[in-house]
Amino acid sequence: MVISAVWMVVLPLIALVIGVFFLGLARKVIARIHRRYGPPIYQPIIDIVKLVNQESISHGRIFDIGAILSLAGSIVLVLFIPFGGIAPLATSGDLLVVIYLMLLMPVGIALSGGEAANPNVSISISRKMMLALAYEVPFLFAVLAVMTYYKTTSLMEVVRAQQNSFWGAVYLPLPALAYFMILPAMLGIRPFDVVSAPQEIASGTAVEYGGKYLALTTIEHAIHTYIVVGLFVNLFLGGGNPFIFFVKMLIVFLIGLFINAVFPRLRIDQAIKYCWKWPTILALAGLIIARIM
Amino acid sequence: MQLITILVVSFLGAAMVYLVGKISARTRNLLAVLVSLAVIILVSLTYNQKISTDFYSLPFLNLSLGLRIDSLSWFFAIAVAAIGFLSIIFSLEYMRNYQRPNFYYFMMLFVNAAMLGIVLSADFLSFYIFWEIMSWSTYLLISYKGGKAVAAGLKYIVMSIAGSVAMLFAIVSLYASYGTLEISSLSSLLQSASPGYILFLLLMFVIGFGLKNAIWPLHTWLPDAHAEAVSPFSAVLSGILVRMGMYGFVLVMYGIIGVSLLHKLRYGILNFNYILCWIGAITIVIPTFTALLQDDSKRLLAWHGVGQGGYMVLGIGIATSLGIAGGIFHTLNHCIYIALLFLVAGAIEYRTGGVRDLNELGGLIKKMPVTFIAGLAGISGLIGIPLTNGFISKWLIYKTLIVENYPFLAFAALIGTWGTILSVYKFLHNIFLGQLPEKYKDVKEVPWTMQLPMIVLTLAIILFGIFPGIPLKVISMIEKSFGVEPLSTTMLGMPKEIGELNTINILAAVLVAGGVVYLLFSLSAKSRKVNQEDSYAAGSFVPKDRYQYSVRFYDQVYRIIKPYLHDVVDNFYYWLARKSKDFFQVVRQIYTGNINTYVLYIIFFLAFLIFVKLGWSLW
Repeated sequence: MVISAVWMVVLPLIALVIGVFFLGLARKVIARIHRRYGPPIYQPIIDIVKLVNQESISHGRIFDIGAILSLAGSIVLVLFIPFGGIAPLATSGDLLVVIYLMLLMPVGIALSGGEAANPNVSISISRKMMLALAYEVPFLFAVLAVMTYYKTTSLMEVVRAQQNSFWGAVYLPLPALAYFMILPAMLGIRPFDVVSAPQEIASGTAVEYGGKYLALTTIEHAIHTYIVVGLFVNLFLGGGNPFIFFVKMLIVFLIGLFINAVFPRLRIDQAIKYCWKWPTILALAGLIIARIM
Repeated sequence: MQLITILVVSFLGAAMVYLVGKISARTRNLLAVLVSLAVIILVSLTYNQKISTDFYSLPFLNLSLGLRIDSLSWFFAIAVAAIGFLSIIFSLEYMRNYQRPNFYYFMMLFVNAAMLGIVLSADFLSFYIFWEIMSWSTYLLISYKGGKAVAAGLKYIVMSIAGSVAMLFAIVSLYASYGTLEISSLSSLLQSASPGYILFLLLMFVIGFGLKNAIWPLHTWLPDAHAEAVSPFSAVLSGILVRMGMYGFVLVMYGIIGVSLLHKLRYGILNFNYILCWIGAITIVIPTFTALLQDDSKRLLAWHGVGQGGYMVLGIGIATSLGIAGGIFHTLNHCIYIALLFLVAGAIEYRTGGVRDLNELGGLIKKMPVTFIAGLAGISGLIGIPLTNGFISKWLIYKTLIVENYPFLAFAALIGTWGTILSVYKFLHNIFLGQLPEKYKDVKEVPWTMQLPMIVLTLAIILFGIFPGIPLKVISMIEKSFGVEPLSTTMLGMPKEIGELNTINILAAVLVAGGVVYLLFSLSAKSRKVNQEDSYAAGSFVPKDRYQYSVRFYDQVYRIIKPYLHDVVDNFYYWLARKSKDFFQVVRQIYTGNINTYVLYIIFFLAFLIFVKLGWSLW
């Protein structure tokens, strides 16, 4: 009881540290690929501390609540995703709850941004929703393949089953590949950064954010990165103890980064067509195989 | 207590309201509220009772009309009474500017009374009579506004009659085979019937109930009817009236025929339930994505009414303890949030002069905060965001689909949810968020009698989302009465053997996390309050009143999915109607109006008879 209470406090912090580290690393790695020097890895921390102390503007109560809800949703989600076998709230909700809790983040942002009468925000939310619909099709097929194969909806059970035999990716290579292909879309990084797209819609949902709001979204982004990559490691790469779990996350993130650092941004319709083509076909084939097996 | 009291109060109350309305409008309104309140109290008094009485015997058919109540009827009866009460309260202000209010209140109470009659019937004859009363009074209420509404009502009643005929067919055949129409005795008599006969019965009832419940491909009447009806009645219509079909499904499939008999209806891998599940899945996907394309607020909700019906059919189709519970629970949840959303759409109509076009609205959040919160709660329930009621019932359905190894059905259900998110966010955004058009500068919040029902329904959504045990207790009683293994529930979420869901822990986690973030938020530097319009546009200027991004909100998705979403079924029905009309035009030529032709027909007919009489034996 006490141990799990401690983990409830520690786990979001771990997620935050890993997430922020990934954000900093991403900027550095992309800079090096672009033959720039790049900011130091701890740059996001400097940014957050600076932003918290800056003045900001607010458009009203929902503007505040939405931003808070979005980050709170992500923090709660961390407690459901096993980190090296540790998940303090795993008995209170399964993979279905996780899929649904992933909604709180975009809904919070959408409500918050919507209260400002800025058309850039509306365009950005519309793109976010469309992109979510796009990657959700292969994502659901992949997750259903896992649940069908292991005959459970519990994330803990899935991880446990993999520790007794090979990784999920060995049995379910196609869904694993499909999930990996949509990873950048779920993370909202290039080539799928249509939602923020600074040159087109002035950073979209973040356009009205300044100061602490921007700090909250940065933290939120960090934790979201942790969640998406962590879920992949849990579903397909067999979890492992906390250190191995972290190493696996790092490898997945870096491979994804190398591939995606060299692509320019897609248009939203191209992104939708991409998601509904190969990832969907692969994940669907994987689901059919999992159903037959 | 006598069950007949409930019906007497509700039917007589409706008539009284009409008569009193002739004298004083104020007393009429008060009486209408009191009658619907009395019905709630009377129904809730029968909680957890099992009564059945005969109230009238028909000597010529050797039948008696009876009433009864059990957990299933009680569950639906209380929903009917509650939604009826709330929509009457909402009507008090909303209907102020409409003509013929006496007729309106009379019909609203009358429809409610008929629905109570349906769920309280102990035999199929009373069931059918009340069913028809409901269908016809619904027709009158749908066409109440005149104009387009008449066409919508006509479409509804034509399809409804087709469904009723199918149902009547089954009922007559039951009477012919068993000589009784009592539900309790039929359930034991039918156990020895042949699978073929059961299949025939089910098919007829599926047409009858499926039309009301608007399952694909019998759904086409619903979007027109819901959009054109007055909003408080749309709430009743979509919330509970349409779900009388669900009541019928559950009653016939599990109350009468029973799970064991249903499992025998199989041919190879196909069985009745599996096909019903796929119909449910199609009913989820096609209407939900059609809803995405709608620009009319009530039409959008109406298509979701069809789509969510698919979840219910899927739930009861799967025929497991979890599935049936999920299906029935979703019926209740849907009733709450869709009624709320129609009331929200009605409140917007009321304040903006009847605007339903989502492209003309925007930015009303500051003007109508209570309505906004209600709309937010409504769409959260409809999506099924955790901690709202819709989540629990959908969770039960997904869970059972995955555990029973139907991943493709589960996919249809899950992707339907994503279609829902897109379209209801558009609903909320285009009405409440973004830029406020200049013409709505002086819009005010709706009066308190309209706020009250919305607040009550909002609270119900959250209450059942956090304490799902309250309704699930009744549902497990229903399951027990069917002989299905009852769903074991606790007040907060599910016990361990069913699955991992504990709503109170999720709530606590969200609250604590929200609190921590709020603390960080309030410790940071203060933010300055600015106007909604005072926004950053990358150096350029955002003109007022012109940059509401709402028309074709999901343009790229529309372009991809639109070619696949032609309403083939509706076109087919229209084609059928056109062809029948042509055919009847031809048939009409027989009646020339000329006496000579008629005499000729008579002579031909006599000649035919003589020919038959004489010529038959020669062959």
